[in-house]
Amino acid sequence: MIHQESFLEFLHDMIPETSDRTSIEPGTVGPCHVGSDALIGIKRQQTNPTRWIGDSWQAFADVLRENGIELRESIAARGTFATDAGGTAYGMPHGVVIARSAAQVSALLKAAQQYRVPVTVRGGGLITEGESVAFGGVLLDMTGMSRVLHIDTDALTVRTEGGIFWHSLAEELRRANMDYLSAPLNMTSSVGGTLGVGGIDVNSPRLGCSADQALALQVVTPTGDIVECSDTLNAELFQRVILGYGQFGVITEATLKIRPYTPLRMHYFYYDSLRSAIEDLQMLDKNDASDYSGILTIMDCAVNLLVAFDSDEREAAFKANWQARLRGHGEFGFALCIAGRYALRPWKLGEAWFLFRRKRELFPELQRAEYMRDGKMVDRTVVFSRAVWKFWGGKQMVIPDLATSSEKFVEAVERGNKVCRKYFPHYTLYLVGIKLRPEHKAHYEMSCIPPDAEDWAYGCEFEPMIGGHVYSRDHLQSFKNAIYDIGVDLGGSYYRFGGMMKGYIRRVFGDEVVDRHLAMKRRADPAMILNRDVIF
Amino acid sequence: MWGFVKNAFIPRRDHTDCSGCSLCLPVCPVWRQTRDISLTPHGRAKAMQQGEAVSVVAVESCTLCGACDPVCPEQIDLSGMTLKLRRQTEHPHAPALQARMDEKAAHPLTSQHAAAKWLPDQALSEHPELLARITDLLGARVTEDDGADIALALEAGVIIPAHRMQRFLAPLKGVKRIIVADGLLLKHLKKLLPAMYFVSLGEALSNHADVSHNLRATDLYVIEPRAYHSDYQRLVKHYDRLRAKHGCAFNLDLQRIAIPITSRNLPQRMGLMAHDDDAQARWALHGRSISRIVVESSEDGMALEKISDVPVVHLAELADHGVHVQA
Ligand SMILES: Cc1cc2nc3c(=O)[nH]c(=O)nc-3n(C[C@H](O)[C@H](O)[C@H](O)COP(=O)(O)OP(=O)(O)OC[C@H]3O[C@@H](n4cnc5c(N)ncnc54)[C@H](O)[C@@H]3O)c2cc1C
Ligand code: SF4
Ligand code: SF4
Repeated sequence: MIHQESFLEFLHDMIPETSDRTSIEPGTVGPCHVGSDALIGIKRQQTNPTRWIGDSWQAFADVLRENGIELRESIAARGTFATDAGGTAYGMPHGVVIARSAAQVSALLKAAQQYRVPVTVRGGGLITEGESVAFGGVLLDMTGMSRVLHIDTDALTVRTEGGIFWHSLAEELRRANMDYLSAPLNMTSSVGGTLGVGGIDVNSPRLGCSADQALALQVVTPTGDIVECSDTLNAELFQRVILGYGQFGVITEATLKIRPYTPLRMHYFYYDSLRSAIEDLQMLDKNDASDYSGILTIMDCAVNLLVAFDSDEREAAFKANWQARLRGHGEFGFALCIAGRYALRPWKLGEAWFLFRRKRELFPELQRAEYMRDGKMVDRTVVFSRAVWKFWGGKQMVIPDLATSSEKFVEAVERGNKVCRKYFPHYTLYLVGIKLRPEHKAHYEMSCIPPDAEDWAYGCEFEPMIGGHVYSRDHLQSFKNAIYDIGVDLGGSYYRFGGMMKGYIRRVFGDEVVDRHLAMKRRADPAMILNRDVIF
Repeated sequence: MWGFVKNAFIPRRDHTDCSGCSLCLPVCPVWRQTRDISLTPHGRAKAMQQGEAVSVVAVESCTLCGACDPVCPEQIDLSGMTLKLRRQTEHPHAPALQARMDEKAAHPLTSQHAAAKWLPDQALSEHPELLARITDLLGARVTEDDGADIALALEAGVIIPAHRMQRFLAPLKGVKRIIVADGLLLKHLKKLLPAMYFVSLGEALSNHADVSHNLRATDLYVIEPRAYHSDYQRLVKHYDRLRAKHGCAFNLDLQRIAIPITSRNLPQRMGLMAHDDDAQARWALHGRSISRIVVESSEDGMALEKISDVPVVHLAELADHGVHVQA
């Protein structure tokens, strides 16, 4: 019979060194928790962050309360933030604070430095690799800071608090007949969360990513200083916070460029070849032939090039100069092609049925009468966002992506597509270009923008349709690894390179860049408490 | 038959299906005011996913405006979820509400036959002139039993005794058209008596030619949210047609969800807590250049009158070219 105490001791010894008994040196990747024989033949790059053990929690909590900061420790309050949109990383904070002001965030961070308590910042929580999941410590819910502070319709700028959802910002801007420039097609992502990550829209081929629209920020540094920064004021901080995954400060306010609102007219062209569609997309981008462009696919069977315009003049110029050069078909022509293809391959009728069903469900959603006026789409973000959640959303979403230079993009997508085919019966690819701003080169270092991209970078999301299926974490992880390995191979980058994909950071960016950023991080955040384990 | 078979296989969605997309947040008046996710469907669903006890989940704060229902991509009946949770929670005022319903049930009804009947809400009952005008316009008889106690019990999640329900429903049997002002009551009546024809007061009046032809392009038309959200897919088209024809603006956000003006949580509905509608009313008006506000609900009208410098009229009064609502 085993004595209870010795059995507990035995269990204690069995806990691997990466558990919360030891802390991992920030900036390094700890050994994998999973037994070496668990995934024979598969390189495992996932790192599940260790949970912070919580030694100084009580003293820290007392200080917050003394400072009048409301700290919530109930299961209900903490459980709301147990995971992100990915639904594969799970962690519980010790407590939750709703951000209310820069001064409050500053007091929180000062106490966190003193008591070495990790602070995880969360906007919409729509990143998918656990970057906004707190593995212990405090979760700072930025949506508490959601006010629009000032709209300047002459200077075409807006000053807003950092936790605001793009949708709420659009709602206020529209009352002034204005719009933001570009934002994720996901209306409940926040401004602060997006500026730190990227933000890609179907107008990014023309206007760049959302992070490029920021003119100035108010940032609370990891040591609690409230600093205004821009490309001319405290430029180094600005460059690190933009596209910096929240490593160098909390974005509490942002000044963004805006523009007069315009509805848009959409055109769809259908391809059965990824390569031709990508070549045509890049041709349109290079020639500034459209205001919006992107590719959305149903596997690699129905490849839909979407092109849209802000004005009748731009649309007319496209029709006159570029439309005839596109190799895609109209809806009817493509239906004939598809019918011909599956008539010759009757064993693939299941796939044909899926395509038909998908199209029948999805397309009416993109053309709902209440969002159209005179054939123009009036609220593209609402339309796409609702469609994205309705048709692709769910409790678990795995969306690895690749970003490369224009030249390498076709290869990246074709290789990624093969990986999708291998792992899942149904999936979607979403491809968009990002116009780069040479003057923002310093912002792009160690970010989603690939280091070798000039003029445009191209991004592709590989999104399996999980639906009601249950896949093991290892299956999903192997899939992500296979996609990310292509990026390493091609010298690209990723939108979601943080969080659980932390294991890729040194492989992608190289030790020199990572160590330089790590040294900056250590200077800025001596206790390494802000958004721990996302990158460092 | 086929419809039945098809519907029978649609799985019921509940809190376990919440993906955490947050689409229910921006439309929620409670979230707009507090920015506190735990007071939203997202917060409630996630708390329960983590096994939190029903008694701890914040259900009293919900105003049951229904704005979250049409936006949920997982098609969870979110206001229904709140009501279900309220039914599982001990309500301190349940005995008083029960007593009120028992008392009402004991009152005999005189039988009144009519092809069309209408049920005003509490606020309209306090405006006899407007009530008479609507009755005249609709060509419908006001029901003797307005069901106000039932509406409150529904809202509080208090069980409605069968004898009270029978007394309320009996005079409605056989009526061809029933117009209901209270959106929550309307939703439940439709479920209880699916074979009968119910319509919201707003839809009935806005379909009346004498009313709609007086809508102007510079009007802000304020839709009553509960009825609208409970039949969203159909009514969003109805109001879009009105917009196309008359050019008026609506209290709709970019998702075409109605911005509630008088959003009252349960303690406020029960008269236990003061309400303050100013912030919501100001948000509905923010940045709009309008010359008149047209309301479906007189409660909304009173809240808007407090803060607006343009005239506020009830929809029914459009037939008289816009007489002021008297608060
Ligand atoms: C269904 C779906 C569709 C998507 N579509 C798109 C798309 O079209 N285009 C696109 O670009 N992305 C898309 N994404 C990804 C996601 O929307 C973006 O990553 C988004 O910008 C993240 O914003 P968030 O507010 O949700 O950030 P969060 O997930 O909350 O946070 C992201 C990171 O930023 C940090 N952070 C958050 N707020 C702040 C702050 N105020 N200050 C400092 N750091 C902060 C967090 O700690 C975390 O590391 C999609 C995601 C999903 C699930
Ligand atoms: S019914 Fe209204 S108040 Fe209640 S959760 Fe939904 S949107 Fe919020
Ligand atoms: S809209 Fe539905 S799925 Fe999304 S967070 Fe709210 S309750 Fe959950």
